Amino acid sequence: MSKRSGFVEIVIALVGLTVPWLWGQPPPPSDLPLGDMQGKARTACLECHDGRIILQQRLSKATWTKEVDKMTKWGAVVDPADRDALIEYLSVNFPAGKAPEPAARVLGQKKR
Amino acid sequence: MISRRDLLKEASFAAAAVGMVHPVLNWAADQDGVSALPGKEGMIVRSFRFLDLEMPTEFMNSWITPVPHFFVRNHMFEPSTLNAAEWRLSVGGEVEKPLTLSLADLQKIEAHSVTNTLECAGNGRAFLNPNVPGVQWQRGAVGNARFSGPRLRDLLERAVVKTTGKHVLFHGLDDVPGKVPPFIRSIPIEKAIDGDTVVATQMNGTPLTKHHGFPARALVPGWIGAASCKWLSEVKVLDKEFEGNFMKPGYRMPNRTIEPGGSINPEETHPITVLNVKSVIASPNDGTTLKHSPVPIHGVAWAGEADVAKVEVSTDSGATWNPAQLGSEDAHYAWRLWSYSWKPAKAGDYVIMARATDSQGRSQPQTAAWNPSGYLYNVIDQVKIRVQA
Repeated sequence: MSKRSGFVEIVIALVGLTVPWLWGQPPPPSDLPLGDMQGKARTACLECHDGRIILQQRLSKATWTKEVDKMTKWGAVVDPADRDALIEYLSVNFPAGKAPEPAARVLGQKKR
Repeated sequence: MISRRDLLKEASFAAAAVGMVHPVLNWAADQDGVSALPGKEGMIVRSFRFLDLEMPTEFMNSWITPVPHFFVRNHMFEPSTLNAAEWRLSVGGEVEKPLTLSLADLQKIEAHSVTNTLECAGNGRAFLNPNVPGVQWQRGAVGNARFSGPRLRDLLERAVVKTTGKHVLFHGLDDVPGKVPPFIRSIPIEKAIDGDTVVATQMNGTPLTKHHGFPARALVPGWIGAASCKWLSEVKVLDKEFEGNFMKPGYRMPNRTIEPGGSINPEETHPITVLNVKSVIASPNDGTTLKHSPVPIHGVAWAGEADVAKVEVSTDSGATWNPAQLGSEDAHYAWRLWSYSWKPAKAGDYVIMARATDSQGRSQPQTAAWNPSGYLYNVIDQVKIRVQA
């Protein structure tokens, strides 16, 4: 029988409870939403951009089309065969009129 | 009963366990974007990459904006390597004597200070209907700081501008991703030789931080933030306006009114230069519920190259307007603090508005001049609050 008071076991139990809770949380808000084009949208957009810049857009399909074509011209990796599906994915997930995405804050300086 | 030694021993096990979970907690914080960024505090994160940070209105309570709260607008990656000792600024183009200046050279030239309100041309873009693409700034892509460094005019005089020199180009050291055009813009020679246009090496009395253009940036007072190129590496005198992406089609306004959601040919647009008159309500916050007692209303107002003549406040959805008190701190290109003390007659829901007028009689509009990129939004600011019984 262990002589421990149970203190360590309590901490380990807390860790055990906390880690799954964290991993069980919804996807990070800066990631792009699920969908057939999620992976290709990540490749096209997140090579340069933080996902937040995508998540905060609320655009018509016509405007998304202009944006995708501009970004492709500037180096975004978009297979021509995927262009229309990528525009559709962005238009459906970030349409005009959808409620704005809440913005996160930097709380302070990280201790190093 | 547990001994002190056992407790310490167990505490060390516990610390190790906590140490295991700490990176996970950090990971979560980082993914949420709520962790930290050295040199910045309490900012709204519009984007970490490229870095775009907005100042919450709660910080619009001081005439000089502290650097940790000053907005950041980056079009691209910040320069990956910047060595002050190796950095050089070239001055060339339509000049008789091209120059190459070190930071030490700049510091030997008489410095001039300008207290300037710097605002991103897209500040307020998020309020446009229909929405337009770009960083969805609300109120806080603006700040007021004291910028110091040699006058650009002094540099151009040393280089001796030819009579063919009509525009002055600024090129920054942004790390350009993919095939994105480099961030290069130009200003007319008249603005370049204005005595308040400087090559700033300091901000609020300390060397520029990297987020704000270390070691030197252009500072074009009263103009949109994009004119004040960061991480400046090249000043080039041109015989005409530069026509790169960030001059055309970027940063242009329609020459005529267009319907919201419409489009316009770039040939029917002009480059944005001067900021327009604008005020922002810093407090109370939109959506606040307050006790039935006097409500201090305050904020900031600026007017580009003009001065703020007055700020008026309405507490009845714009039916009547009352003069706000302007703060005593004043400088030509700087914002003015303003305040108004209001005693609600009764409990209820209220719409508070603030409207600034500049020294040329221009006032803020009730509706936005919608444009496809969302520039120069300056609609009368408003917040909705509830006063409890």
